[in-house]
Amino acid sequence: MFNFINTLLIGITAGSIYSLMAIAIVLVWRSTRVVNFAAGGLALASSFVGAAVLETTGSFWVALPLAMIAGALFSAFIEYFFLRPLLKRSGGKGEEIFLPIIATLGLLGIIKAILNYIYGDRVGSLPPPLSDKGFIVSGQSIALSPMRILILGTVLVLMAFLTLIFQRTNLGLSLRASSFAPEISRLAGIRVDLIRTVGWAISGAAGATAGILQTTNGSGSIAPESFEFSLLLVFGFVAAVIGGIESLIGAVVGGLTLGIVLAIILMYVGGSLVFFAAFLILILVLLLRPHGIIGVKGGRRA
Amino acid sequence: MHKLQITNKHRFIGFALIGLVVYILSDVVDEWRSFQGATIAVYIVAIASVILLTGYSGQISLGHGALLAVGAYSAALTQIYFHVPIWVCFAAAVLVTALFGAILGAAAARLSGPYLAGTTLALAVGLPSIANQFSILGGEQGISFDAGWPPLSFGDSFTQYKWFFWIASLAALIAMWWVQNILRSRYGRTWRAVKTNEVAAEIAGINIGRSKVLAFTVSAGLAGLAGALLAMTMNNVSPSAFPLALSFSIATGAVLSGVNTLGGVMIGSVALVAIPEIASLISDRWSSSENLATILPEFIVNALLILTVFLAPKGPIEKLRSRHSK
Repeated sequence: MFNFINTLLIGITAGSIYSLMAIAIVLVWRSTRVVNFAAGGLALASSFVGAAVLETTGSFWVALPLAMIAGALFSAFIEYFFLRPLLKRSGGKGEEIFLPIIATLGLLGIIKAILNYIYGDRVGSLPPPLSDKGFIVSGQSIALSPMRILILGTVLVLMAFLTLIFQRTNLGLSLRASSFAPEISRLAGIRVDLIRTVGWAISGAAGATAGILQTTNGSGSIAPESFEFSLLLVFGFVAAVIGGIESLIGAVVGGLTLGIVLAIILMYVGGSLVFFAAFLILILVLLLRPHGIIGVKGGRRA
Repeated sequence: MHKLQITNKHRFIGFALIGLVVYILSDVVDEWRSFQGATIAVYIVAIASVILLTGYSGQISLGHGALLAVGAYSAALTQIYFHVPIWVCFAAAVLVTALFGAILGAAAARLSGPYLAGTTLALAVGLPSIANQFSILGGEQGISFDAGWPPLSFGDSFTQYKWFFWIASLAALIAMWWVQNILRSRYGRTWRAVKTNEVAAEIAGINIGRSKVLAFTVSAGLAGLAGALLAMTMNNVSPSAFPLALSFSIATGAVLSGVNTLGGVMIGSVALVAIPEIASLISDRWSSSENLATILPEFIVNALLILTVFLAPKGPIEKLRSRHSK
């Protein structure tokens, strides 16, 4: 029982980080109908910024927001200079999603190559800012540490913040309107292109946070060819698809489901089946609901 | 206007000529070039498999590496447990992977767009790793797959890699001949109809689900062949031979070739093999930075990929064709 609760806690922490990455992917999908694999590279690049800031200032609390800003800028840059002209060229048709996917894969490769050129074999260091030793409950150490609480707290705060933006502000209304019906929004005076860039920027910030939390929760250091980041990208995308790729709540549900189930499998079945299990969860969910847990067939959610 | 009608006879002569060129090439090039030639043949089959699935049937796959892995493991297991000639192993690889593709396709036919992309991506990450779970698959070290030495009658100077080059080229030629025929057949037209407009295709009496599953099956069979050929060139099958990067390379190659035209398949395969070499030439000549040498291939491939997406989204062949017809 004790073991099981610990496994759950580990799964929830990992899952909440996947949720953030999934949110980054969902935000881009909603605003431009692009599956953004570059999100993984952006998260990596902004985590390197975070590590550099941490090295000079020594404070995690300065590094995290600066990394988020860097992520937002990188992401907006990519949208403005690559995806916008690309989608204009292809006429913005929704069904041709293969080429934009491949374009973002190319961007991911280029970002990694540039990081490799700058950093080479050196690694950036992002150690946990708080203790990662578990609290002691009735003589036993549980898998809940100040660091884990920080991770869960950050994700919760970000979620609340995003929900607030989307449901209570004009910006949120514009974001929802331009993803729901771009033409009509344009007629209603919304600057859809600008709003799309904002959507990408928010996605970049979410991705940067996911990257930093993933690193502090994991090995504490980042390298351009980091395995942790491939994991983050793949599981973030899988979580987004499980949740239905249209909805922020879906992304969180997908991320937590994936995190918890994978933690249980890692604990009770064995490490070598974890990746295959992610595939099984995905295909099971999609066989039951081809448009994800929260997704709606044929419709877009505003 | 006079228009040259290309018949199947012309195509057969074309294929025979390519075969002849490969035969002559294999005599003049050294070991390393033979190995590269074999690798190009492997990529040709793998990329054709993606083009058939994505370009003609309209289903996205980011996980072809997983299908290659299925083919490679089935070929190696067939050899280990049944001690049959090498060509039977290839046939087994094609059949087993096609069967696997049919099952996968039955699930995939219900999915579209990002859902299918996610499923195939998760498969590419998940499938090779289960080799570590079952001892029959040999774990991280993998299992051996030995195509054997070239027949003695070919003489002493006939090298191992030349033999691989021959086998891979012959397999690729046969596979491509078959693919271009099937794409021109009733099935090929059905796939294109479903891709272009599902509703119209359904009204015309096409069973959409069956058409999609069939495309997945054929594509998987080809990928299985590519996997077995890849295993042959490496003498071994292990999970590390099928990383996510392999799946991405194949998808990249398909875009470089032009994802809607089978005819460009050579372009993407040659590019994938030649770029690392060109990159090392560049970094040798103009820079002594070791860092640059390691990142240059990745950088060039991806820059080329983005340029292609921007300048020739339908592929270089279509680009030339449309310019020609203007």
